[in-house]
Amino acid sequence: MTGEVAIRVRDVSHHFGEEDDARHVRALLDTSIDVARGELLCLIGPSGCGKSTLLNVVGGLLEPTTGTVEVAGKPVRGPMPADIAYVFQENALFPWNTVFENVMLGMLFQGVPKAERDDRARRSLEAVGLAEFSDHYPAQLSGGMRQRAALARALSLETGILLMDEPFGALDEQTRMILGEDLSVLLSRTDKAIVFVTHSLGEAVFLADRVAVFSARPGTIKQVISVDEPHPRNPEFVTSAKFTALRNQLYSLLHDEIRKAMSESAMRGGAGHRGSVAGDSA
Amino acid sequence: MRRWPAIKRYMLRHPGVARLGVVIVLFVIWEIAARWFIDPLFMSPPSSVLVSLPQMFEISGVPGALRITFWELAVAFAMSVAIGLAVGLAVGLQPFSRRSFMPIVLLLYGTPQVTILPLFILFFGIGPASKIAFGVSHGIFPIIVTIVAGVQNLKPILLTSAKSMGANRWQAFRYVIFPHMIPSFFTGMRLGMTGVLLGVLLAELYVSTAGIGYFTTLFTQNFEPDNLLGLIATLAAMAIILNELVRRAENHFARWRD
Repeated sequence: MTGEVAIRVRDVSHHFGEEDDARHVRALLDTSIDVARGELLCLIGPSGCGKSTLLNVVGGLLEPTTGTVEVAGKPVRGPMPADIAYVFQENALFPWNTVFENVMLGMLFQGVPKAERDDRARRSLEAVGLAEFSDHYPAQLSGGMRQRAALARALSLETGILLMDEPFGALDEQTRMILGEDLSVLLSRTDKAIVFVTHSLGEAVFLADRVAVFSARPGTIKQVISVDEPHPRNPEFVTSAKFTALRNQLYSLLHDEIRKAMSESAMRGGAGHRGSVAGDSA
Repeated sequence: MRRWPAIKRYMLRHPGVARLGVVIVLFVIWEIAARWFIDPLFMSPPSSVLVSLPQMFEISGVPGALRITFWELAVAFAMSVAIGLAVGLAVGLQPFSRRSFMPIVLLLYGTPQVTILPLFILFFGIGPASKIAFGVSHGIFPIIVTIVAGVQNLKPILLTSAKSMGANRWQAFRYVIFPHMIPSFFTGMRLGMTGVLLGVLLAELYVSTAGIGYFTTLFTQNFEPDNLLGLIATLAAMAIILNELVRRAENHFARWRD
């Protein structure tokens, strides 16, 4: 970790809808945080706490109501494909393109010179262990493999920042664990700044250098916990006392917030119906 | 009786065999009925239709009529696809235009155009122009409707993802919206083809001086079922060929869907 700031979030608030609208939602309130190069920051919190909203604000997919975000020293005013790559929760691969074509297309959009694309696509598919499945269509792959392909596409863009919105959220526990381990290995080789939204306490502790715990709506960062453990982390880390202690600490922090969020949404008659950019897990 | 399961398995794996069987049975019923039970002035058995087919083509004007009808079909279809695609995209791509204009499209689609067929003749004359226009009026709506539906069910995450990687508007259309809509586009083209066929032939039957409609009327009035059915069979063959061409192209473009 070089300590150089890659993402700077300052007093960011975000509201969905107009002030006097019944569906007006204060999703995010006065949030500030820095993410350093080479660091993985996990965002964790109750549903609707603004984790994904913050991610989308950083990615330039949502414009914050107030506050500023700087990425690589530049203010964020829209998507910044040269600096930021995304891995979404849902399968966001183009179903009509093969895995290889999907990776190539990302680089075409980003503006990578033609001569470089082929090589970079091959390398990134190799890095996620999908080289043999280059010519498969997404429908022919398992959910885990699809997310690997999405990761390969993001890696091929060679951005300094990677935003991951519950990328393993739809996968089963075993696949999730393996992908987490592989991601940890990949991380140890890059100096990307990564923001990773998750619902899973274990995943957060296993992957993150720091975990930002969100409070219930209006969401803001309640506390940041450091996980002082070098990458790549091996599976034994999960069974260590340190892991358990951190996990328990996170659990107690989250528990109250989740109760609060649930009673609030029950009062409003169900979960909030907000328009969010990427999926509805803001 | 161990052979029955084997036959059953074979049939299950080859649905085309059962289909062919049904077609053959229908033809046999037709043959028997026409040969022994129906007045030969009204109906001919398929065998004699087939035998008299070359003879029908000799009738002066028939090959020309087929050519004219085929040409009308082709022009009407091409126009339906071009206009339908343009209108479908214009209406379907924006939620605003979809909400504003789609009800109009559906209203027009739901109206039986045959009620205003005389108007088409009035506007476009009794020549090929009115047949083409009427064919387009039938072919265009299924194409618009399927394209709007196809554009609509695009997963927003795919556009978001393309945008996050830096895709501009043209690239988003070329690499996301367009490939997504191809399957429904082909469905629309096949439905449109059926519509065009219906429209052109209806207009031909209504008033015609040269196309197939003229001869179907002539053959019916002269009690020549051999020629009438031969002509219809030729038309059916045309339709099947056109449909099959579209279907082949569709399969080629929809490889990724398995």
